[in-house]
Amino acid sequence: MKEKIAQLEDYIMKNCLWQFHSRAWDRKDQNEGILTKTMQLLCDEKVEVETPADRCYWVDAVCLAEAYRERFPWVNEISKAELKEVMKGLKERIDFVTITGSLNLELKDPHY
Amino acid sequence: MPYHEFNCSKCIPERKQHAVIKGPGEDLTSALPLGYLNTIPGSISERGCAYCGAKHVIGTPMKDVIHLSHGPVGCTYDTWQTKRYISDNDNFQLKYTYASDMKEKHVVFGAEKLLKSNIIEAFKAFPNIKRMTIYQTCASALIGDDINAIAQEVMDELPGVDIFVCNSPGFGGPSQSGGHHKINIAWINQKVGNVEPKITSKYVINYVGEYNIQGDQEVMIDYFKRMGIQVLSTFTGNGSYDDLRSMHRAHLNVLECARSAEYICNELRKRYGIPRLDIDGFGFEPLGQSLRKVGMFFGIEDRAKAIIEEETARWKPELEWYKARLKGKKVCLWPGGSKLWHWAHVIHAEMGVEVVSVYTKFGHQGDMEKGIARSEEGTLAIDDPNELENLEAMEMLKPDVIFTGKRPGEVAKKIRVPYLNAHAYHNGPYKGFEGWVRFARDIYNAIYSPLHQLSGVDISKDEIPTDKGFVTRRMLSDVTLSPEIANAPARPYSGKYDIIPALRKKTADDFPKFEEDKAAVA
Repeated sequence: MKEKIAQLEDYIMKNCLWQFHSRAWDRKDQNEGILTKTMQLLCDEKVEVETPADRCYWVDAVCLAEAYRERFPWVNEISKAELKEVMKGLKERIDFVTITGSLNLELKDPHY
Repeated sequence: MPYHEFNCSKCIPERKQHAVIKGPGEDLTSALPLGYLNTIPGSISERGCAYCGAKHVIGTPMKDVIHLSHGPVGCTYDTWQTKRYISDNDNFQLKYTYASDMKEKHVVFGAEKLLKSNIIEAFKAFPNIKRMTIYQTCASALIGDDINAIAQEVMDELPGVDIFVCNSPGFGGPSQSGGHHKINIAWINQKVGNVEPKITSKYVINYVGEYNIQGDQEVMIDYFKRMGIQVLSTFTGNGSYDDLRSMHRAHLNVLECARSAEYICNELRKRYGIPRLDIDGFGFEPLGQSLRKVGMFFGIEDRAKAIIEEETARWKPELEWYKARLKGKKVCLWPGGSKLWHWAHVIHAEMGVEVVSVYTKFGHQGDMEKGIARSEEGTLAIDDPNELENLEAMEMLKPDVIFTGKRPGEVAKKIRVPYLNAHAYHNGPYKGFEGWVRFARDIYNAIYSPLHQLSGVDISKDEIPTDKGFVTRRMLSDVTLSPEIANAPARPYSGKYDIIPALRKKTADDFPKFEEDKAAVA
């Protein structure tokens, strides 16, 4: 599980920008929006794309889900239940690296 | 924390927390330098000031505008010739630069009258230009001149003109980044929402944080137009003042340089509900994915895919030619802010070079987070470096080339390290698929320039071989290649010297017509 999460985390940190918005609350929204939709796509669940904000999360999620399926064959092989556990662990890890464990002193600035 | 202490900065102990080397198993929770703090006294920083960040980085790329500094004439340094944010109106904003020319007597008696006469004189000198931006400087801020009041007086007296005032004096922040923030907020507060645009497509974006360095913006706009997307405004390269007043009508903000322009995207998101999509315009894979994302947002991904397919087929083989010759070359990626993360991973993945150091002159910790996350282990990351630290880093890391600004670049040349201009480029544009090959070409030319070898010969003492002729880049670069690669049919860059004029000649007839988009607009 840990190794799987590390692979997924490494891809995000190397290739994505959405997890690095400037403020902690903003990062929380981004991580939640995109990683939830990514999990839903990977598990063939319904994804909400009604609002512009949702569509924006969704496009990043589509690219992430595609990359995961392509680069990590195990994503297509494990059960949906296990995949959900991995994605839950990934969300916790990304929240830690970018928010709760972050050394970025500007994250708590109340203004942009 | 894996801090790196430079020998030359031991006398400034606070500097230690501004450099880290990412070690095995370390991530951002254990390796992140301090950033966006006041420069430590004693460290000769390479930063610009907050006025420079507002005016010279963000304000002045607007093309149809008189850009006036209210301050001493010296504040207009770094305008003529030093910036390369070109425009399609004959570079009006680069050709003419204006200052109110404050002197000591104005500091004593005030400079508001002087400012007003300067504004009117400038408008009279250029009767076809009806828009102006005015920038506060340290001197005019300290004496308390009310620039907004003067601007309003002029607007009342000269109907038809519109003036934007940016109060971002040089001391208004640790670096130019403070000025980026101030002008973003000033623009949205004063100007956005004042003009209603003509909407011509079902798909409308603002292209934000793009400064048209050597034509980058024009390359990207061409892709968007080929997708049937209306680009309402560009913030701010090659951008029009009035277009930027109508930013509130876009459906999506497509953001490139988050360091300089995320603020206005965030405000547009909060005030008008327009989402922000961060993209990478550099590199085949990131650019392709970026175009796809924009396409997906509007449900026109197929149009993006067609462009990616066409451009990749045309240019990828030429990129591969360079990759074979750049593999393993060591690079110090030392730009101002955003390019450290725009480029760190993709030059490694697509050109095969090794990034041994990243630095940022004025970036925030957020920029370092992105840059370090995208770098490999062992990369030296430096915040707000000084010249001595740069020299020490180059001696330690022995890079084959550095990507930086012209001032630190010239220093590098003195120790025979070639540099590429990461801010203004050597032979850009570097964005776009063809642009990325041009960048690879420039890197190749820098690393393998025979001049660098010749510069190491000291004719006063070295023996000069008389049996050897002048070598070419190709003779240097291909010496270690296998015969299959050296003689492969792939070729180096085959594009034109300047690719922008052809883009400017395009008319509406040169772009695909999407009938379904028009019907929706009507």
